[in-house]
Amino acid sequence: MTEALVAARALEWTAGGRRILGPLDLEVRRGECVAVVGPNGAGKTTLLRLVTGVLAPSRGGLELDGLPFADLARRELARRVAYVPQSRPLSVPLTVERLVLLGRYPHLTRARVAPAAGDFEAARRAMRDVGVAALAERPVDELSGGERQAAYIASALAQEADLLVLDEPTTHLDPSHQQEIASLVRRLSGAGRRTVLIATHDLNFASLVSDRILALKEGRVLAAGPPERLLRPELLAALFAAPFEIVRGGERPVTVLDLHP
Amino acid sequence: MTAARRRSLALAAAGVAWLLTLVVAPLFGSHPVTLADALGGDPIAATVLWKLRMPRVLLGLLAGGALAISGASFQTLFRNPLAEPYTLGVASGAALGAVLAQQFGMPGLGGFAAVFAASFAGALGVTALVVGLARSRSGLESGTLLLAGIAVSLSCSALILFVQYLADFTRTFRMVRWMMGGLVVVGYREVLWAAPWVAGGALVLLAARWELDQLLTGEELAASRGVDLVRLRLRVLAATSIMIGALVAVTGPIGFVGLVVPHILRRWIGHEHLHLLVACLLGGGAFLTVCDLVARTLMAPAELPVGVLTALLGGPFFLWLLLTRKR
Repeated sequence: MTEALVAARALEWTAGGRRILGPLDLEVRRGECVAVVGPNGAGKTTLLRLVTGVLAPSRGGLELDGLPFADLARRELARRVAYVPQSRPLSVPLTVERLVLLGRYPHLTRARVAPAAGDFEAARRAMRDVGVAALAERPVDELSGGERQAAYIASALAQEADLLVLDEPTTHLDPSHQQEIASLVRRLSGAGRRTVLIATHDLNFASLVSDRILALKEGRVLAAGPPERLLRPELLAALFAAPFEIVRGGERPVTVLDLHP
Repeated sequence: MTAARRRSLALAAAGVAWLLTLVVAPLFGSHPVTLADALGGDPIAATVLWKLRMPRVLLGLLAGGALAISGASFQTLFRNPLAEPYTLGVASGAALGAVLAQQFGMPGLGGFAAVFAASFAGALGVTALVVGLARSRSGLESGTLLLAGIAVSLSCSALILFVQYLADFTRTFRMVRWMMGGLVVVGYREVLWAAPWVAGGALVLLAARWELDQLLTGEELAASRGVDLVRLRLRVLAATSIMIGALVAVTGPIGFVGLVVPHILRRWIGHEHLHLLVACLLGGGAFLTVCDLVARTLMAPAELPVGVLTALLGGPFFLWLLLTRKR
């Protein structure tokens, strides 16, 4: 938990003259798990797309290990940052094994155009780590929502990147699958094993898995801090304009949204 | 049977079909020819085999392969199962270019080379236009792309009709026949003209196989893994336009091969592009050549244009695809 793996300074992204994100500063330290929370349209996914190099900043800059993103080739960045986006095609006509193996693409070069033994080994390791090794031969389209999410996470792990970026990993999952993904993320990131950046609507998921929460509102950082400091009724009311209760405080607070008018 | 084994068998079958077509198809037609006659010094048999049928079979293998590999790449690139050079207007653009060059080109100005160049320009122009129309802030709208392709295709057809109206009787007849799509060639000139472009285009598409694989998981994930989507689109569009441009100048527009063949092959080969694209090159070529064999023997000595036959087979297939996609 020392130096920053990813740092953003005065980061901004505008589209059609409208500022969607920023200006904001961000630091994700090595071994840290940071969750970005905030209402719809707060800019969470935009922030993730900037960090993964899918979008280029309109103003300001990003650094990886002190190196400006602009100096990194696309594949070089992809070898360091792996992404599990939320927007994905409804149908992916591949088996789990092939999907995971596609994560090795950034490691291919002009001299090495086809995956080699090392790539297959990395894919197998990623499937084992995530617990989808038994699904290797199954078509992705036949998996349950939770299994599919796990398969995509395995594909990102096969990239063997320094930073794992997850966009809404628990959305559209039923409670038991949400719990499975939460324990998977905890297992993957726990004890500083991996550096993880997550965008999520699910405050309890953020509370459970993250070391630090970043509250984003209208493209700006409203507050940042460890879950026990950040998940407070006043702050959540300001963030979401909705009443929250904290049913269990302490180290890993659990929040409840009161929908009663 | 595992998927990998099925894939290997299907690839091998496509290779065998390609070779068999190359060897067997030239032996059939309105005038029976045996290999023994042709090699044994019978001058008529030798002429029929080497001057008429072999170039035609080679052109069929080239054209069918190019159409199928283009269709397969388009379907992945635009994530639309109905995308192919025909539905996106690339073939119509090439046809319009070729027709314009045939009608207005000055005889001294390169002749066939001018038709070639105009066909290229038409293919590239229409591709750029259709992609430009379908472009939005969030990328390429696949539905708009198809609709724009069909609209531009219809406009090109209307312009072609207009040019035909202006042309004299013999020219009109020739253009109408050419528009039906056919593999009518004598000698190797056209085959040699088209071959390098098809080979070059196919190599560019094969080199993009990993990027195309990445696109199967969505544009956002592909981009995060270092796929340059803009460059990939340009590469694929340029490669297919060049192949289709070169072929349409010779064969006229031949529809549905680019649609039917990739979809059939995916059932056995799967969606990964190294195998799929190679299988399309082989299978598409064999398919078109066999269609042409049927077209020229069915009503022998009369010949049906092969484009009519592929469209007759492709139309119902297209409908079946539309209906079974929404279950």
